[in-house]
Amino acid sequence: QPAAEGRERAAHPSARRGGGAEQLAKLRLQPADACADRGELLSRGRGRSLCCQEGDPCGKGDLKASKMAGASVKVAVRVRPFNSREMGRDSKCIIQMTGNTTTIVNPKQPKETPKSFSFDYSYWSHTTPEDINYASQKQVYQDIGEEMLQHAFEGYNVCIFAYGQTGAGKSYTMMGRQEKDQQGIIPQLCEDLFSRINDTTNDNMSYSVEVSYMEIYCERVRDLLNPKNKGNLRVREHPLLGPYVEDLSKLAVTSYNDIQDLMDSGNKARTVAATNMNETSSRSHAVFNIIFTQKRHDAETDVTTEKVSKISLVDLAGSERADSTGAKGTRLKEGANINKSLTTLGKVISALAEM
Amino acid sequence: MAAPTGWASLCEKFRSSLSLSNVESKKDPENEPYRSKYGARELLEEIRQLLGSEEAAEAEGAPAGEAAALRAVRLAVVEYELGVNHTETEELSAGEEHLLKCTRLLERHRLSRGCVSLYIQAQNNLGILWSERGEIKTAQTYLESAEALYNQYMKENGNPPLDPNEHFMAEEEKLTDQERSKRFEKAYTHTLYYLAQVYQHLEMIEKAAQYCHTTLKRQLEYSGYYPVEWALNAATLSQYYLTKQCFMESRHCLAAANVIFSQAGQVPSSEDNETEQDQKDLQQRKAEIARCWIKYCLTLLQSARKSLEDNIGELDPDRQTELKAQRKKEEDEKEKGRKKAVLFGTSDLCDSILATEEKVSCICPLDFQEAREVFLVGQNYVHEAKEFFQFDGYVTDHIEIVQDHSALFKVLAFFEEDYERRCKMHKRRIDMLEPMYVDLNPQYYLLISRQLQFELADTYYEMMDLKVAIGNRLEELDSHTIKKINSLAQLAVKYYELFLDSLRNPDKIFPEKLEEDVLRPAMVAKFHIARLYGKLITSDGKKQLENMQTSLEYYTFLVDYCEKHPEAVQAIETELELSTEMVGLLPTRMERLKAKLSPFS
Repeated sequence: QPAAEGRERAAHPSARRGGGAEQLAKLRLQPADACADRGELLSRGRGRSLCCQEGDPCGKGDLKASKMAGASVKVAVRVRPFNSREMGRDSKCIIQMTGNTTTIVNPKQPKETPKSFSFDYSYWSHTTPEDINYASQKQVYQDIGEEMLQHAFEGYNVCIFAYGQTGAGKSYTMMGRQEKDQQGIIPQLCEDLFSRINDTTNDNMSYSVEVSYMEIYCERVRDLLNPKNKGNLRVREHPLLGPYVEDLSKLAVTSYNDIQDLMDSGNKARTVAATNMNETSSRSHAVFNIIFTQKRHDAETDVTTEKVSKISLVDLAGSERADSTGAKGTRLKEGANINKSLTTLGKVISALAEM
Repeated sequence: MAAPTGWASLCEKFRSSLSLSNVESKKDPENEPYRSKYGARELLEEIRQLLGSEEAAEAEGAPAGEAAALRAVRLAVVEYELGVNHTETEELSAGEEHLLKCTRLLERHRLSRGCVSLYIQAQNNLGILWSERGEIKTAQTYLESAEALYNQYMKENGNPPLDPNEHFMAEEEKLTDQERSKRFEKAYTHTLYYLAQVYQHLEMIEKAAQYCHTTLKRQLEYSGYYPVEWALNAATLSQYYLTKQCFMESRHCLAAANVIFSQAGQVPSSEDNETEQDQKDLQQRKAEIARCWIKYCLTLLQSARKSLEDNIGELDPDRQTELKAQRKKEEDEKEKGRKKAVLFGTSDLCDSILATEEKVSCICPLDFQEAREVFLVGQNYVHEAKEFFQFDGYVTDHIEIVQDHSALFKVLAFFEEDYERRCKMHKRRIDMLEPMYVDLNPQYYLLISRQLQFELADTYYEMMDLKVAIGNRLEELDSHTIKKINSLAQLAVKYYELFLDSLRNPDKIFPEKLEEDVLRPAMVAKFHIARLYGKLITSDGKKQLENMQTSLEYYTFLVDYCEKHPEAVQAIETELELSTEMVGLLPTRMERLKAKLSPFS
């Protein structure tokens, strides 16, 4: 089953709707087949869970490239330098990295054996570029971004997202900063994309690039490229084209500068959008989609075929629980708070059937 | 004599503080979110100071003995407001202090008309406070105490108690008994709601459900409610009851949901845009309630099947007779049971709800007639739900509804004695599932696609089995029936194969090791294919040999896989046993057949 393949098809008046959407983690719980003797079917998610088991008996977990229904998934972990607060508190670094293995020490139990985890990549960015082991923005891009771009050119859909607490450095890795050598994966990927397009000398190939940028906040989807559209965009499903965000703007871009401008204005729209007092980026997810179409014209048959691939770049909200009890990173535990208002009665009742 | 104006200004201050806390605070800017609440706090502190002095109470001309009591209650109100204020501004220790002071001031008179409501509200807030600290059991203590106090008050007194704010109102502003009762009941409704949440956290699910149910009931009677929201909540609660097979309660919730939802009616709105969206939302909610009804009918039928089926999944006539006799006995007790259940609503609501309930049974159907009635209700709701959840736009929802419809037919078929008619029901399932499957892009809907493949395969298999059973009753199998049997078998094989193909990687290679969640279905698919090849009917000996060979290959696959992956054995024990048997038997049979076909070689 080709789970993530681009499609080769004869070009015709495109049936593409306004924007494709990534449904972030919307795995449905499907009803198990009632007849157990005939074989129950998948009732939860699909593929293997990617999470390391905490309390793993041997202290090792493997998170290398796993094959999930034909797609390949790579996992990388990156550690950032101390910030001023951490330095002020004389914090101790409990992470070590060797090769693609990350080791973590429990500062409260120094006698305990440190636990090691293997990933596809372990990026040591705790020190400075002078350090020979330092993993730079460029290196991260070369390892991860280049392969993604290559897959996209081959016609596959690719997706990358950064996961971690607020302040962990997700946006730095994904977007980076404008300064030289500090650009993140996204700008480097976009630059590369257009480089390759412009370098093509083959007259039979033509390319088009469109982008969309949306924000998911409090279960609402906002179009960051058209923030004036106050409406909450609806997520719909098409049987053939899959899930999509209705009326999400898809803008054509012809250069890396175009993308940069749109990203900037989109990012600004993010800040304005949230009414919450906390940093927007810590509360909402942002999904930047690049729809990359490659058309090949066959001179002999005069048929044009096209390959469409989607590159999804996701900046996830901070994974810490926004809990006033200050949950100590126990993001797996539900807060035991009582909701004051009767408006949450529905939520409480829904939970009953699921327990 | 000093001021009645002193008192009036005190009341004014109090009103201002409430306004700041509850109204103005909503407009506070992002960078000063508690500005109004801090302002309210200052006012409350001022009031507290003023109350501290003797003059305040005496100035009112209240008789000396009562002055102290009056002052105590007023102070308690201020302490309460301060307690809530500090809790809401995340200063839990201070909040707790004030709330405890409040309860201490009221302790001796907590069952009196002037104090009981305030005391209960203070305990409610202490419950919330402790839950914020993560101490659920402490929260439980406060809330259960509030609950007990309410019950005691209602038993021993019952008069509408004063609303706490009345202690800072002039005589002419005081509330009517009706309003007092309303507010008091609302405070208690919150007590119950908070307890529901506490029980949920403590995983006392039945109790949590009971309290949710009571909360809903009280919303209808006292608290005010939004019809659509209430209806959805009731419908959701009905789904919980289904998990406990409490069909009477489930039906009651659903019927109430229908009745209350119909109160929502047309929403007149100024902008056209709004109305359109509102209308759409309304339609969606209605469809969602319809889906809850579908689950009700389905679960009821499936529960009935479970109690009636024998060990090969057929209806056991003896059990049927037994259960019917038992039912007659229980009919009397059912009436008593009804009164014990928590019924919704005032008398006229009750009638409407009852009328809706009478359209569908809540007791397990025991024969085809009864089953069909439940089926028809379910089918109606399927049509209703599909009107909104159309395929284009709501793929997953639509398909789930159709899957439920298919399940309704499947369970109804169980009650149908005639095999031909049963077959027709399964055909209906094929007809509704197949077109959907064909139009679905597995790239986006892999999980659903696989479910449909499997269900189609199973259904064709079932139909084939029925045709064989029908055929066995005849003297001889005619060619038409044989064709039919073979065609159905082949269609079943086709869909099992499609399912197995969906497991291959992009290079079309079947996985060496199967993932846990597809292991059993994949093995079952292989097993069924093996059996199906064994059921194909042909007079051509060579063809028969081919079929047996294929059959053998599939049985062998199972056996080999389990050898290589012993952990898989427990997922398919029965199938493995049979497969091992067949792997032993088939080669011999094939040899015999070979010998028969070519006796001279």
